[in-house]
Amino acid sequence: MQRWTSQPLTVPQHVGAPYARADLEIEGVRHDGPSCYVQFYFNLPDANEHTGRDVSQFAGAFSLFAHGTCWGDAGHCEVPSGPLNVFDRRSPHPLTPINITVTVTEALRAVAEDEVTVTVLTFPVLGSDRDESLRFSRLTLLTYD
Amino acid sequence: MAVQVAVSGTSASGTLQLRKSVNKLLPADLVVLREAFSQAMSVSDNRGFGYFAGWHGQPFDWCQHHTPLFLPWHRQYLYYFELSLQALVPGVTLPWWDWTTSDAIPSAYTDPSDPAGNANPLLVSEYTIYQSGQTQQAPPRTPGQNPGPPLPYLDSWNAAMQMTNFAEFQTALEGVHDDVHVWVGGIMQDIELAAYDPVFFAHHVMIDRSWRLWQTQNPGALPNASMLDVALQPNGMTVRQTLDVTQLGYDYAGTMAQVPGTIAPAPADSGGD
Repeated sequence: MQRWTSQPLTVPQHVGAPYARADLEIEGVRHDGPSCYVQFYFNLPDANEHTGRDVSQFAGAFSLFAHGTCWGDAGHCEVPSGPLNVFDRRSPHPLTPINITVTVTEALRAVAEDEVTVTVLTFPVLGSDRDESLRFSRLTLLTYD
Repeated sequence: MAVQVAVSGTSASGTLQLRKSVNKLLPADLVVLREAFSQAMSVSDNRGFGYFAGWHGQPFDWCQHHTPLFLPWHRQYLYYFELSLQALVPGVTLPWWDWTTSDAIPSAYTDPSDPAGNANPLLVSEYTIYQSGQTQQAPPRTPGQNPGPPLPYLDSWNAAMQMTNFAEFQTALEGVHDDVHVWVGGIMQDIELAAYDPVFFAHHVMIDRSWRLWQTQNPGALPNASMLDVALQPNGMTVRQTLDVTQLGYDYAGTMAQVPGTIAPAPADSGGD
């Protein structure tokens, strides 16, 4: 199990910013390795494999269904930066990073502080040859009126 | 949850094929299903099981995950694979595994052998990547042993079914789908190999059925208009063409009652039995 904690994010709790729903948007998730299970906690940087889902700081979770081992030659699993040229109509590379949305409304409402850190626990699946943190490019806390 | 299906049409060639819950298969249905998979696994060319398993992961990698095409791509995938089975064993349909009520992989897919003592083709023990010529032992499934929530997934499925927007529904349902893949373990936990496990198809028929049920509850709720004329790999069926399962010749049976019409069915067409 690997743990990563974000920089603080501002919580929109003031009267002028009510929200009906809150999401964590995890952008640019890499899925070229083994599958894994990912849990999120608010303001609980010490969360670990024993913390579980029954604490108020538990925000959500998802399973990442990933590709596993690379079956190709060198470079097979490298994602091109974009189309080769304007005539390139091929489908995006299968390993193009994805975005994941985790709805965290109730957990965010339980946060009393003005800021929230997000701790991400990443659990490898059985048979995995990697024990690494979720690889992603950006984390956004998004609320909807 | 059940959907009442009204079977229309009077000619044998136009009869809808009905997919059933694996838990409601009669012993004879299961014999037919296993026979179809067994025959498909013995075909090494592009009519066989390995070819279709290869659509999803190795070697073709045509599947769509966490893209706007997740549900349409997998619907046409099941359609073409089911047709390939029906070409071998007429009348066979793919059953669904309802993991909203079940906390285990159905015994149809876990029994080591059938009542006659033949090895069960639905229990994967080895796989051969299409055209690789190399057979490898499949790691055993590890149901419930991977990290993640335990089955059944009724709450998360219900949450998805309550969405009224296609994109949100699809995203939520795919999350449940991902949980099931990881819960099963073995080669089901890797996109590249998952479809070489026959239980993959029972899982995805449940996903497709969920979309069908959601469509009946949300008539007119479509994928984004810009997606409707996108052609799906590899055969070019468009997203629009996936929207109505009855136009693809199948539907889902919750309860079913049938009587013969005025024209006797052709011998080779079992009419959705």
